[in-house]
Amino acid sequence: MRRGLMSWSREELPASVLDERVARLRAGMNREGLAAVLAYTSFAEPAAVHWLSNFTPYWSEAMLVVLPDEAPILLASLTPRVHGWIREVSHLGEVVSAPKLAQGVLDMLAAKGVQSGSRLGVIGLDSLPAAVALPLMKAWGTAAIVDAASLFASVRQPCGKEELALADRALGIARHAVAGVPGDVRNTSALAAAIEASVRAAGAEEVLYRVAPDLSRSGALRRLEGEFPLGPAYALELSVAYKGHWIRLGSSRARGETPAGWEAAQAGFAGSLARLAEEGADGLSAAPAGLSRWTLESCLGVQPLTLARTDEQEFARLPPGSLAVFSAHAALDGGHWYQSAPLTLGGGGQRGQVLRG
Amino acid sequence: MSAKLRDERGTRLRAAMERAGLDLLVVTGNAWRSDYLRYALDVTPMEGQAVAFVTADDAWLMVETPAEAERIAAEQPGLKVEWSTDLLVRARHALDAVRPERTGLAPAHSTPVLLARSAAGAGMQAATAMLDGLMVRKTAAEADRVEQAVRLADEGYEVFRAAARVGKREFELVGELEAWLRTQGCPENFMIMGSGGKEVRTMRPPGERRLAEGDLVTTELTPCLEGYYAQICRTLVLGAPTREQLDSYQVYLDALEAGIAEVKPGNTHGDVARAQNDVFRRHGLGEYVTSKYTRVRGHGMGLYVDGPHVLEDVDLVLEPDMTLVVHPNTYHPVAGYIVLGDTVRVTASGCKVLTRTPRELRSAPAGLA
Repeated sequence: MRRGLMSWSREELPASVLDERVARLRAGMNREGLAAVLAYTSFAEPAAVHWLSNFTPYWSEAMLVVLPDEAPILLASLTPRVHGWIREVSHLGEVVSAPKLAQGVLDMLAAKGVQSGSRLGVIGLDSLPAAVALPLMKAWGTAAIVDAASLFASVRQPCGKEELALADRALGIARHAVAGVPGDVRNTSALAAAIEASVRAAGAEEVLYRVAPDLSRSGALRRLEGEFPLGPAYALELSVAYKGHWIRLGSSRARGETPAGWEAAQAGFAGSLARLAEEGADGLSAAPAGLSRWTLESCLGVQPLTLARTDEQEFARLPPGSLAVFSAHAALDGGHWYQSAPLTLGGGGQRGQVLRG
Repeated sequence: MSAKLRDERGTRLRAAMERAGLDLLVVTGNAWRSDYLRYALDVTPMEGQAVAFVTADDAWLMVETPAEAERIAAEQPGLKVEWSTDLLVRARHALDAVRPERTGLAPAHSTPVLLARSAAGAGMQAATAMLDGLMVRKTAAEADRVEQAVRLADEGYEVFRAAARVGKREFELVGELEAWLRTQGCPENFMIMGSGGKEVRTMRPPGERRLAEGDLVTTELTPCLEGYYAQICRTLVLGAPTREQLDSYQVYLDALEAGIAEVKPGNTHGDVARAQNDVFRRHGLGEYVTSKYTRVRGHGMGLYVDGPHVLEDVDLVLEPDMTLVVHPNTYHPVAGYIVLGDTVRVTASGCKVLTRTPRELRSAPAGLA
């Protein structure tokens, strides 16, 4: 559940930027003959609706209805008593209470004159919750409801300068928090508490942790539940959201002497980042020097970060200018090493950049 | 969590599957609805969808990313975990290859539609009811976990109260509490709050508003320990409470006591709600216990933060070791939005109030942060 600061800064993200994103989606709707696009949101799948409206539900679920000729409409399962808050933090047309989202969608489409049985696109149709999807399909006709995931992905990247600035701010919050971790931190509870205090005071909407407590034993990054002692070397990965914009920052940290192989891994990582920013993912070799495996993630759909590529396989093509997170592991003689960082991809004669925070 | 509790849940689950004639149970989840997966395999997804397959003598899990697969495999070395970016397509293929009449699929509300439209989807309601029954009717060990989470809620509320000061912004206040919760090994907390006067009609995530003298500061604080949530609802005043605030608050004290008095085996959630609402109605405040002003009069507590609702039309019968929060939270036309709620455990003869934080309308100093 979100419990950090959820807000909308009109200075950081002007309404015109959100309007332009909706217009890009509408152009695609028009090309594909869609009467409307539906975008479902919960805090597990918040990314598409947030990108279009700046809205993320702290709780419960909602559906954004994008029609050709009016501002996006939010159907919210949340109580109407928080509609005022929804309007504070979002750029929307109507906000309508819809305890049953499917019926709300059907009623809204009818009210807006959308002809029954005309083609509807759903961003991420396959993962749409059954309680929403099944009644919708039954009433509207399964054949008339198509997956708009590809359409959305085609307009989602590259990122604009506002998104880049917000992601950079998220990175800055994460970097500041990591820099403030006491050098003698002994366990994951103390580590997380130091991070948490820093990022939330700085206005982070959310922070998720994964920690490999002892890199001499395992490089697997674990969820923090309970308390684990930290070994002489550990890895910390923070996923930080600032006003709905997510980045990851991961690093390996040694409390004593730097383990053998780390410098080479770090050099390999830095070189790979530079190459990604210069040439894009196609410029990266499957096995960069010093690294054992890597992943490249970007926001392409309903989740904040989607796996786009690994050292073995490409799952989604990222255009130059895409905001992405590069993560890499190294298996070393004395243990493991991990790092991750955000950047924009280069390629096609365009230079990207490694975010600095 | 303890292997003993995990095994206990696994044994109950497989016994229920056998009674239901299921050879295979497929359970889906994500970061929002992780409770069914948590029950079945003790797994909490952080990102993406996850699909668990449980048979009489085996279990395995599919997730969407290598990071999630590696994480869960490290957390549960005995569990088989694989990943695929085409998770739902692969899971659907697996479902299409089994006997649907011997396969359960849950939960019915949040399972991805690609899986729900398989032949096994026809039995989703029954499989979900089976799991709901297991999760609502807890074992003593599960109720013990909720009790432990209540300790965090009590201590956490004292941290919140101590941090509430004039001039502090809402999100800074919550940030201080969250940092404390991390020191306790608590990974998750559902929390909303409100601050201000009579203009406040509900709670929501913390905003940028600075606390001011005379504010009513409300919160629902719901920490999670080993997957089990417990909730406390309290209202405090920054500075000395007014006579109007104190008089208004008495209705909530009476309603909470009346509700808790109805928590006993054989009574229903509806009885608990009605007892609370009757107090408001006796004070001429019946309008304020309608959906216009409030949502529920409490709800089950366990692996999901918002279990079966305490409403007058809910006929869920209480049994020992069920756990719930009783909270007559609503708007008062004189004082504003007030919350007050305790987590309780049903016992053989009545209930045990787990929350220890005093119920009175307490103050925090009105001095500047």
